Amino acid sequence: MQCYKFGHVTGEGSDMKRRKPFSHGPQSPAASIYRWRPTMIASLAHRISGLLLVLFVPLYLWLLHGMTGSPEDFSDAYDWLHSPLGKMSLWLLGVALAYHFCNGLRFLSLDAGWCESRAMMRLSARVVLGIAVLVAIVLAVLL
Amino acid sequence: MKLTKEPGSARSGIGDWYWQRLAAVVLAVLLPLPFFLIIAVYTGGVDQLGLLDLLDNFVSRLLHTLLILALIVHAYMGLKVIFEDYLPQIGWRVTLIGSMLVVMSGFGIWWLAIIWAWGG
Repeated sequence: MQCYKFGHVTGEGSDMKRRKPFSHGPQSPAASIYRWRPTMIASLAHRISGLLLVLFVPLYLWLLHGMTGSPEDFSDAYDWLHSPLGKMSLWLLGVALAYHFCNGLRFLSLDAGWCESRAMMRLSARVVLGIAVLVAIVLAVLL
Repeated sequence: MKLTKEPGSARSGIGDWYWQRLAAVVLAVLLPLPFFLIIAVYTGGVDQLGLLDLLDNFVSRLLHTLLILALIVHAYMGLKVIFEDYLPQIGWRVTLIGSMLVVMSGFGIWWLAIIWAWGG
């Protein structure tokens, strides 16, 4: 019987010499291997929106700093929010937040064991992605 | 035979998993608030005096402190998992996770300094 430890094959086994240690860890979700399903898109989008939200933390801090400073600082921050870059940031922030929020609730419910069937997971993935698209459209109209 | 494990694999990881969910619940409640605050300023619904009224009190400072703590815990766990999934080189992982901790602590301290200084 073979026993895999750290990529090496230990114990008796004819292919012991031919095995190389792992140079790559498992890469999940392995986007190049699995079929594209709503669940995988939902999972990857959760990571992408999470990365975006991390980037918005310094932005919020900078805005807070400006908005609570002198009246000139406040109007600078206000003007920046109304600039094309500011509007685009607000839009992206809103979409990423809405998506990460909804899919986060979905993940929490899955962790709690609710709606875990394959069909329900696909349906809920479609629903959260749909909400994100809806928020994207609504924000684009309103901002 | 002496066995070496990959970094991070010596623990079960259940603690990380649990903290990430706990922080997620806190963030689900608190994180929309700053967004609505910015939107309120954007639409002109709240001017600077109104904003300072909202921010310059103990409850707001407490909520912002909770928010940054939950953000750091949640973002740290999340980014760590992403690094671990897509960066096969242990050296890069350790470097990036380490720098991430330093940068996040720096931002956390700056954030706390700003919010506890409002209104003098």
